[in-house]
Amino acid sequence: MAPQYKLTYFDVPGMAETCRYLFSYGGIEFEDVRIKQENWPQVKDKMPFGTVPTLEHNGKVVDQSLAIARYLAKKVKLVGDNEWENLEIDATVDTINDIRQKIIAVFLEKDDAKKKALIEAVKKDTFGFYLPRLEAEVQKNKGYLVLGRLTWADFYFTTLSRVFDVVSGEDVLASYPNLKGVREKVNALPSIKKWNEIRPKTSH
Amino acid sequence: MAPAYKLTYFDGRGVAEAARFLFKYGEVEFEDVRVKRDDWPQLKEKTPFGQLPVLEHNGKQIGQSISICRYLAKVVKLTGNDDWENLEIDATVDTINDLRQKISAAHWEQDAEKKKKLRETLLNETIPYYLQRLEAQAQKNKGYLVLGHLTWADMYFTSGGTGFDQFVGSNTFDKYPTLKALREKVEALPAIKKWMEARPKTEF
Repeated sequence: MAPQYKLTYFDVPGMAETCRYLFSYGGIEFEDVRIKQENWPQVKDKMPFGTVPTLEHNGKVVDQSLAIARYLAKKVKLVGDNEWENLEIDATVDTINDIRQKIIAVFLEKDDAKKKALIEAVKKDTFGFYLPRLEAEVQKNKGYLVLGRLTWADFYFTTLSRVFDVVSGEDVLASYPNLKGVREKVNALPSIKKWNEIRPKTSH
Repeated sequence: MAPAYKLTYFDGRGVAEAARFLFKYGEVEFEDVRVKRDDWPQLKEKTPFGQLPVLEHNGKQIGQSISICRYLAKVVKLTGNDDWENLEIDATVDTINDLRQKISAAHWEQDAEKKKKLRETLLNETIPYYLQRLEAQAQKNKGYLVLGHLTWADMYFTSGGTGFDQFVGSNTFDKYPTLKALREKVEALPAIKKWMEARPKTEF
């Protein structure tokens, strides 16, 4: 029988990897569809708003990576015990997403000189601003980002942090032992360790 | 007795107006704190991540406008009946936010040449792309954005209407009659109508 869920994205971790982690963590079978760049133009028009990832389930298709991740997090019980706790997780996820949006600008910049300047700005104003504050959150939360235990915010941070070093050319989390600890803890989970071994090899 | 909730933002609608709409709709008392530009630098340091809005409740502070809205939506019962329905609402809210960010980028661009180009793309491509699809979605949902009934997605969408008219042009929605009717429907809800009349008239 075909898996109940189909996740469609490009052949990279990117915005879909948190969802892939959540599926793996929960032992939920999913069809991991990876679009080739040359096929994207045709696929794009079939998507609700021309974006991926999308999740297909029971004949319905939805988009928006974080909305999908939140849904999966509920399925695999990596959420809060009440609405305020879920707000705390959501707010941390949004903050991590703010970091992501600032990093994206670097990848989109074509001009070398401007790119170099953007990288310096990211190191100073993005990593330099957000990471110390997130580091402090982890110290207050027994080695996790929120609620003193594993939540989907830790998964999102872990998958995004892959690109920190790609952007800056440095080991960004070297100065943030607690954040580094979150990533190591998540990647050491048996289900995640297995996923990282079997997943298609991509550049990062 | 002081209200249970305090919402702090600048003196404008901006990304806090959706939360205000939800408070008013649900008749949940809140302290509507508006920070003056001059007072912002000192206050900034005291916020979780140097941003507004911030919601304060039971001595805890949390940022991130959309996550605050998702929490309030649960309090005022404008959510779905299960996780998938909430995913559908979340995805639509995120999509509207994507559009909002693109409009914002065009609006706040300082370079006159770039701004002109951004605005052209916005008016000729981006806005039609999103609004055509949202129009079709609302037609399939009895005039609401999701689930065939009022949800916080409709509040989120409508609360941004005044700003949209200001930045983009108030005739835009003439081409999208279902969306126009939705805005009018939400704006006609007694609590929302009263709020829109009573709220401070602001630049943004």
